Amino acid sequence: MNRVFLLLGFLLLIHGAMAQAQQTIDITKGIEDGGIPIAIAPFGGGAPENLAGIIAANLQRSGRFAPRPPGAPVDYAVVGQARPGGSRGWVVQFQLTGAQNASLLNLSFDVPANQLRPVAHRISDLIYEKITGRPGLAGTRIAFVGRSGDFWFLVVADADSRNPQVILRSTQPIMSPAWSPDGRRLAYVSFEGRRSQIVVHDVYTGARRTVSAAPGINGAPAWSPDGRRLAFTLSRDGNPEIYALDLTGQTPVRLTDNSAIDTEPVWMPDGGIVFTSDRGGSPQLYRIGPGGGVPQRLTFEGDYNARPAVSPDGRYLAMMHGRRGRFHIAVLDLANRQFRVLTPGGADESPSFAPNGAMIIYSTGQRLAAVSVDGSVKQDFAIPGSARDPAWAPYGR
Amino acid sequence: MQPFIRTLIAVASLALLFGCAATGESTEEQTGVQPDFTGQPEWAGQPGQEVYSYPYGQAPSGWDAYDFYDTTMAGASPGIAAVQPGAQPGQAVAGAVSADRVVYFDFDSAQIRADSRPIIDANARALMGNPQIITQLEGHTDERGSREYNIALGERRANSVRQYMIAMGVSPQQIRVVSYGEERPVAFGRDEQSFARNRRVEIVY
Repeated sequence: MNRVFLLLGFLLLIHGAMAQAQQTIDITKGIEDGGIPIAIAPFGGGAPENLAGIIAANLQRSGRFAPRPPGAPVDYAVVGQARPGGSRGWVVQFQLTGAQNASLLNLSFDVPANQLRPVAHRISDLIYEKITGRPGLAGTRIAFVGRSGDFWFLVVADADSRNPQVILRSTQPIMSPAWSPDGRRLAYVSFEGRRSQIVVHDVYTGARRTVSAAPGINGAPAWSPDGRRLAFTLSRDGNPEIYALDLTGQTPVRLTDNSAIDTEPVWMPDGGIVFTSDRGGSPQLYRIGPGGGVPQRLTFEGDYNARPAVSPDGRYLAMMHGRRGRFHIAVLDLANRQFRVLTPGGADESPSFAPNGAMIIYSTGQRLAAVSVDGSVKQDFAIPGSARDPAWAPYGR
Repeated sequence: MQPFIRTLIAVASLALLFGCAATGESTEEQTGVQPDFTGQPEWAGQPGQEVYSYPYGQAPSGWDAYDFYDTTMAGASPGIAAVQPGAQPGQAVAGAVSADRVVYFDFDSAQIRADSRPIIDANARALMGNPQIITQLEGHTDERGSREYNIALGERRANSVRQYMIAMGVSPQQIRVVSYGEERPVAFGRDEQSFARNRRVEIVY
């Protein structure tokens, strides 16, 4: 059984490597076919949620799987049931089988009725990780800024666009939400009082703390990898510069010193900071060390590269990339300097990496969409209305 | 739009009834960065309350935010309802600034245009004649480019107007600057005419 699984994993690796080798520089079309065939039989037992449907949709959305109707030839199969019983109301059981009906997973959960959908996400991620070797995204969440009528909303929704919860409603703009590494807090910019400030918001209590309200710009907050510091933009000394604030302290430390615009800092895993600056004439990405120092320019493609996002492993920088008046999402591979344009473009902006590093969520200006780092998987988020500034939540909580 | 507003009112009422955390931020002038802890403040609900926060998982019961969005979108294309001028009360805020208090800018520029000088001159004279008045210069950009970078561009524009006013003799103490970047457009098309109307500084007092 293990040998079969290892062989399958090996074939998948080869398949992935071949797909990589065929990668072109400009990826603007999705790959429609592909995906590991998997059959998910309807769950018996009379649960009020269609668990098999949720699992199939999650696996389909990942781009790595092709759910097939029962009876079709597949590499993997899932059977399960959800029946009343157990200590909490419902017992959900499922089994994942591979080649020659080898059992790969066989698990059971006791859950209340309102946890049936989360359990379907959990099962999806167990299947995804068992077969691909990477953690899945079905159980993750996103935050974004919604806009309607007189109001701005800060919304936290599940990664399948369901269960949206408005955790903040304001009559003034909300911008640039950023998750703390533990997934408990969001830092963002609020214009309440008709001036900008940076707020740290406990998602689970609703408690809010203003951590910066300096004269001028308070913008673009970014968490340090350890969650103890925030980098952000202040213009209190005359023009926008990058600062870092220890959240137990009160005095932000300035990290840049230039008459140009310096903004949109993000922290690298090693403590360095990448930010947007127009010191060279157009907006481009630059990097400084943990304590500042002379910025090193990172981007040279097109005429506009801004709003960086760092992959969890620090290898990739996603950004908003402008060329000939159109804005795309692009990614720079810091290991080999390969630069890829991932979206057809228009007004694409605000990229944010999923916590497994596989997908990048972004805003088209009106809607939310996601694209895989290699450009092969595209995903739309079913969020009606105006949504922007997405931030994919980290694992945990 | 109307069901949407009604839902909001219902939500606000529920917040009052059930004691969801609701936060009002101070608007006093602060110098420097002074963290303040406003986690569990007084009840919101006074008129003019700008911000309500709700603990995740404890949103007012019976409210399905998803249906709420769908209601908002009834009869409109995705993404359009929120930017219909007629359904955009937020526009009234910007629209309340009369034409003689708006300074327009060229694309990617913070330079004061010759045709803007009479407007700045007139407002500068008004401020000099009324030293007790404080004006807020609110900088804006069109929607192209990154949101935070546009905040910086909008501030550049507001600072251009500020420096021009100070050169005319207005006291720096009478001028505050804020940039909204692309967050508060007054025109909602994706065409040069709309972009040009949004590249502006509003002189608010």
